[in-house]
Amino acid sequence: MTSERARAGARQWIRVHAPNVRICHWINVVASGYLLVSGVHIFLDFPELYWGHTGYRGHPAIFRLSDWGLSWDAAGELGNRMWGRNYHFTFAWVFLINGLAYAGWNLARGHFVRDMTPRRAELTPGHLRAELRGHLRWPRRAPESTLRYGTLQKLSYLLLVFVYAPFMVLTGLAQSPGVTAAAPGLLDLFGGRQTARSLHTFGTVLLVLFVVVHLLEVAAAGVVNRLRAMITGNLRVPEEEP
Amino acid sequence: MSQRISRRTWLRGLPGLGGLLLTGCARETFVPPQVRGGLVGMADVLTMSTNRLLQANQPLAREYPRSAVTHPFPTWAQTNPPDPEYQRLRRGGFAEWRLHVSGLVERPLALSLDDVRSLPARTQITAHVCEQGWSAIGEWTGPRLQQVLDEAGGVQPGARYVVFHTFDGWYESIDLFEVAHPQTILAWRLNGEELPIGNGAPLRLRVERQCGYKNVKFLRSLEVVDSLTGFGQGAGGISADYGFHWFAGV
Repeated sequence: MTSERARAGARQWIRVHAPNVRICHWINVVASGYLLVSGVHIFLDFPELYWGHTGYRGHPAIFRLSDWGLSWDAAGELGNRMWGRNYHFTFAWVFLINGLAYAGWNLARGHFVRDMTPRRAELTPGHLRAELRGHLRWPRRAPESTLRYGTLQKLSYLLLVFVYAPFMVLTGLAQSPGVTAAAPGLLDLFGGRQTARSLHTFGTVLLVLFVVVHLLEVAAAGVVNRLRAMITGNLRVPEEEP
Repeated sequence: MSQRISRRTWLRGLPGLGGLLLTGCARETFVPPQVRGGLVGMADVLTMSTNRLLQANQPLAREYPRSAVTHPFPTWAQTNPPDPEYQRLRRGGFAEWRLHVSGLVERPLALSLDDVRSLPARTQITAHVCEQGWSAIGEWTGPRLQQVLDEAGGVQPGARYVVFHTFDGWYESIDLFEVAHPQTILAWRLNGEELPIGNGAPLRLRVERQCGYKNVKFLRSLEVVDSLTGFGQGAGGISADYGFHWFAGV
């Protein structure tokens, strides 16, 4: 009886995350957290957004925080642009170096192609619709496969690494007078320094949305198991599965 | 063939590297005068040295057509220094104002506003990029800072920085790599008119590849020095002493 119950509850461990992925993931969590908070500080010090090459107090704005109930002065009290600038640029370097190491390492070992590129069959409308329904069901049934990435998951990670991250780095650099002197093409790419600043800010909102969805997915897949897997690399799975 | 192309590419890159070497390839071209501790200090050095490598050929900041000019040009921070001497000079139309040029130059100078205006001037329509996040485009006219130092007989061996003192109690500094840039000028004219009080009359610094806080207004004097330790807390400017990065290229 006792051995029977032990057998029923038996679990096995499966290695799901390579060491470099786990290290880069947690460095990125710290860097992105600092970038977000310091970025908000910088924004609060000048809480308006503009389009084009110029934008200043009194210039037609595309977004004013004061329209949303937080006055210019109140926002200024909340934001510390000196602290914000110091830590934003510090963790921008951490983000960049960590991101290049992650992308370089995993391109070289084929992780992106092998594990994160959707197969043709996964990209059919029927498959995607079915997967989306699965994501929207709450509470989740047991995940179909805990070991492979879903198609939507693959697509969102690829977008994050190869589109979103470069976009945020470039819209950030396009605001720098030093960098744009050497690379004026950055100004033309986005249509002006203020446009780049606005896009950079919208990108921040996208990041927050990604993190919310990401954490919900982790919650759905099992917080303890998934969190532990991103630390130790090992996921606990019921023995009868694979 | 490919060898020739690669050699040509290499040769094209040489003047830039040569420029860096000529300015000493000096530590101060890549490293701020006072390196802060920890991760922030390491990032400061990375940021400054990366910018300087990108700028090895001394590229010009984007210059805009006259139609892009912002008029009236925004003002920020001090718009009329209460300093009694400044107010006296202002009332006299700055006729008695002098720009004192001293330190490691061959001939210390005291230039009147007319002296400054008689120097060959550069006019540039550039974006003022405030570290707060705003930017505006102005047409700035004035002599190159290098020209002013040449009027003083040039800098002496060992010179590394130019320190600016202002009537609003500010001090700021740039290194000789930034001085050598063609767009580093002392502007006495904005958008075709005399520089307004709010924008730094009678003379202000334009450092087009750095943020607003480097572009000090209300100039009183400038000093060529080999070290910034004797000024304020030694970080090279009021804002840097306060905790901003001395290199304001980002």
